Amino acid sequence: MLELIDLSYVVTTEENGNGAGRRKIIDGISYNFEQGRFYAITGPNGSGKTTLAKLVMGINPVTSGTIRFEGRDITSLPITERARAGIAYSFQHPARFKGITFRDLLAMAAGTEVEEQLLALLRRVGICSLSFMDKAVDAQLSGGEIKKIELATTIARNPKLAIYDEPDTGIDLWTIKPMVRLLKREQQERGTTTIVVSHNRAFLEAADVILMINNGHIVYEGDLAGAKPLLTDLSACTYRRCLLEDQDVGCYR
Amino acid sequence: MLDAIDRELLKTVADLEELPKGAYNIRKNGRLLVRNVSANIDIESLEDNKGIVVTIKPKTVNESVHIPVILSQAGLYDTVFNRFVIGDEADVTIIAGCGIHCGGLDPEGHAGIHEFHVGKGAKVRYVEKHYAAGPGRGKRILNPATKVFLAEGAQAEMELTQIGGVDEAERTNEAVLGPKSLLVVTERVLTEGTQRAVSRNVLTLSGPGSRANMVSRSVIKGDSVQNFYATLEALAPCRGHIECDAIIMDRGKNETLPSLKALHPDAELTHEASIGKIASDQLTKLMSLGLTYEEAVNRIIQGFLR
Repeated sequence: MLELIDLSYVVTTEENGNGAGRRKIIDGISYNFEQGRFYAITGPNGSGKTTLAKLVMGINPVTSGTIRFEGRDITSLPITERARAGIAYSFQHPARFKGITFRDLLAMAAGTEVEEQLLALLRRVGICSLSFMDKAVDAQLSGGEIKKIELATTIARNPKLAIYDEPDTGIDLWTIKPMVRLLKREQQERGTTTIVVSHNRAFLEAADVILMINNGHIVYEGDLAGAKPLLTDLSACTYRRCLLEDQDVGCYR
Repeated sequence: MLDAIDRELLKTVADLEELPKGAYNIRKNGRLLVRNVSANIDIESLEDNKGIVVTIKPKTVNESVHIPVILSQAGLYDTVFNRFVIGDEADVTIIAGCGIHCGGLDPEGHAGIHEFHVGKGAKVRYVEKHYAAGPGRGKRILNPATKVFLAEGAQAEMELTQIGGVDEAERTNEAVLGPKSLLVVTERVLTEGTQRAVSRNVLTLSGPGSRANMVSRSVIKGDSVQNFYATLEALAPCRGHIECDAIIMDRGKNETLPSLKALHPDAELTHEASIGKIASDQLTKLMSLGLTYEEAVNRIIQGFLR
């Protein structure tokens, strides 16, 4: 349902003060996401996971390659058009607003202001406190609260494809399992194709397919068991990236 | 008595479809149009019809006073002095506002100078909206001033809004806060085209335990200019905060100067100020909910000025 064809994303960087350089963040990725499956995208920090997710939503412009969604070329469509086509995106660090409440965002996401329908959405995403509805989505909210709101507005879109970027950021340990169950239920009951960018074991275990990204390439596709050796190898150590020219101070591990 | 233009202006500035219930005083083109008093709220004219004195009896609760002003006479600049005396332990709402309809080339303007004496333990909510419209090219000018005196334990909540269409505005807000009193001022101003708006605020926290919060939200479109100056002066153990945010669109210009003066060692004064364009993460979020860029901008501005 989502097809990436030779997708690249290149940024211009200042290199050593010698003018502009180019760095490939996503380097010729081709992949076909199947309808109704649950994908976890993982990999080291800076490997390109979030960038890939943002390319799909249209938040970052594609440098080269093609994105097809349900057979339609969406490579040059703006965010709004992709959202209307059925793609929803949950941000790792959600925007905070002055004067916009959770109710406002939920109503925009769901396309309705009818109280019963908004309440039904709260039940669906497991937010039981009604007083939460009229809270401003501003800097006063805790990290956990704003992520719940982000999740709810994503689900309220009834998307065909839901992309969650690090949904567990700021969420307490006790909330992660219910969150995983919610995303699985959305996948199973509504057939939502789900892509979660995460390092969290709970999401990796819930996924049908794990994609591991490193240096802008997909380096692994398969189940969690098969991913484990690579995860151990790539997950925590960013030593290689930290090297400054030849000044090798040795890995601290 | 009210024509179609009057009705539109009254609806916009005072949310009035018809004459309100309770006490009211509607002034049109420098003259009293209609007035009503209630058992607890008296309204009297000052000499030469230069303004009114609204006297609210002590312990009057859940009552409101509407005092809108409408202008539709080209070349008229109407200055009005209004005094509000709010009795001890009263709890009332005062709804003011000025609507200008400009049909000609000559400028039209209004200066509403409002003085509030809020009695011990009394609460007042003051809502003021300014708006101008009409096909004429004459300048629409509004120069409002408020002076607030809060007695011990008094509370005042002031909502001051300039919705649009006002070419020049110079606002002055002054307040003196007695012991344990509370003042919350929220000012919302939208300018566009070549409009100019200046807001000067001096809040003096003179009583021990007094608290003040000044919030300013500015949206500056087109080539308009808005300047905001606010000073909190603390003479006693007290708490005060200024929060001023400005969103600049197009080529708008803004100067924001919050200032804090602590003249007592136990004063706690803080401020936060920001000027900038609409944050791109806010736009991206709303567009990811299916809104177009323009719809997203409108929703963000609407919320910001709410």
